[in-house]
Amino acid sequence: DGARHWPPGEVSRIPYWLYSDPEVYRRELERIFYGPHWCYVALDAEIPNPGDFKRSVVGERQVIATRLEDGAVAVVENRCAHRGVRFCQREHGTATEFVCPYHQWVYAPTGELMGVPFRRGVKGQGGMPADFDPKANGLRRLEVARRNGLVFASFDPAVPSFEDYLGPLMLQYYDRTYDGRPLKLLGYSRQRIPANWKLMMENIKDPYHAGLLHVFFVTFGLFRADQKSAVEMDPAGRHGVLVSRKGDKVLNDVTQDMRQFQENLQLQDPRILDVVHEWPGEATVVMQTLFPSVILQQQVNSMSTRHIRPRGPGCFDFVWTHFGYADDDEEMTRRRLRQANLFGPAGYVSADDGEVIEMSQQGISSDPEARAVVEMGGRGTGNADHMVTETAIRAMYRYYREVMGL
Amino acid sequence: MTEQTWHRVASLSDLPEGAMAAVDAGGSPIALYRVDGQVHATANVCTHGRARLTDGYLEGHLVECPLHQGQFDVRTGAPQGLPVTRPLKVHEVRVEGDDVFVLA
Repeated sequence: DGARHWPPGEVSRIPYWLYSDPEVYRRELERIFYGPHWCYVALDAEIPNPGDFKRSVVGERQVIATRLEDGAVAVVENRCAHRGVRFCQREHGTATEFVCPYHQWVYAPTGELMGVPFRRGVKGQGGMPADFDPKANGLRRLEVARRNGLVFASFDPAVPSFEDYLGPLMLQYYDRTYDGRPLKLLGYSRQRIPANWKLMMENIKDPYHAGLLHVFFVTFGLFRADQKSAVEMDPAGRHGVLVSRKGDKVLNDVTQDMRQFQENLQLQDPRILDVVHEWPGEATVVMQTLFPSVILQQQVNSMSTRHIRPRGPGCFDFVWTHFGYADDDEEMTRRRLRQANLFGPAGYVSADDGEVIEMSQQGISSDPEARAVVEMGGRGTGNADHMVTETAIRAMYRYYREVMGL
Repeated sequence: MTEQTWHRVASLSDLPEGAMAAVDAGGSPIALYRVDGQVHATANVCTHGRARLTDGYLEGHLVECPLHQGQFDVRTGAPQGLPVTRPLKVHEVRVEGDDVFVLA
């Protein structure tokens, strides 16, 4: 198909049909979201006690993550093995079993089929065939990986270990924020963004836009183009981190920064910029993209997971889970909650991203044969020690082409 | 709780070996079972779903609910595994000649 041309090996030009073609999207679900990749589903802290469950999503399939008696987490598909009903209609809850409302098939949280009404018929009439095997007719159970408070799942039994999936460098950044301290759930934001899911991944692999699109950052001194930073990836190129470092001197003098950037603008309540340095090292921002489903945010003292839930080629739901550490004092919890106003659908910073990728999708979908220019910082896919690069986007497409066979 | 009394609920000749019967004892739905010549009585409503055990299956001392295959021992009411976890109430039985009485 000449209309679907993409020169082999090219990653600095991205064809726009990738963002709107239903056939490409179908293959993404199959090979990426349901393939040998780990998709984010929950925080351990959302389901602390046996029987606690959270409904989540892998690709377009709903799943249920339940805490088991032994402390492990089971993740099963929310689709009755009988006739396909999405039986679980609650976002969160506590249950010892799941019952499909249609014909009352009963499942254990592990997905095991525990009962089929009238399996042996009624007064000798009807019923399931004698060779019907409940063990072979349970819910689809996913592979589960947990590390330091986060729960991931995969439909593919051949998925590598979570540690191998991230690789040593990405794991080091992951463990920086998720260091084993129990987490404390603070709340959620949810939004539906009319754009292709990859645009969200690209957004967090793109430090180039941070000081240009986000006027709040620049105006109030949370970002400067010259600050020390890095863009790093796993060997496969699918995951990445944007790291931003800022000297202590700047950090501790917010008001000076404010004068420096825009004299006439003042925050009504400057406590949103009351930042404390809490992790080892110089980094004040570590934004990690874990392909394909989640962005792990540590920006100043605000932490969240941002879960991508695709809904067709032109839309995805974006679910933000804000959290702190279980041992945070009240002041730190308040600080994290205040700073959370920077993020989420209406965040002083993040509102820009949701809106601008919607505008991207509008331009992209009206002209599928055109291409994006992704050449900032060159055409390569190596790590960089500055912000003026799109290398992490190129690296993701290097991996994408491989896994998609495109 | 109201005081329990004996109710005549069935004729023994209507309850052959290996059979079940749904009876009423002063307003309580009761399941009668005849196993190895003995008559046993339990509550007739499963402790899990909303189903009558006498619509299910009696195999030896185990009754199986027709809805979700939960099993109980009819002698003790003890649940035999998931999905049932709570025991059935067991009622005392007295047989005099052909008359079956249940304390309820």
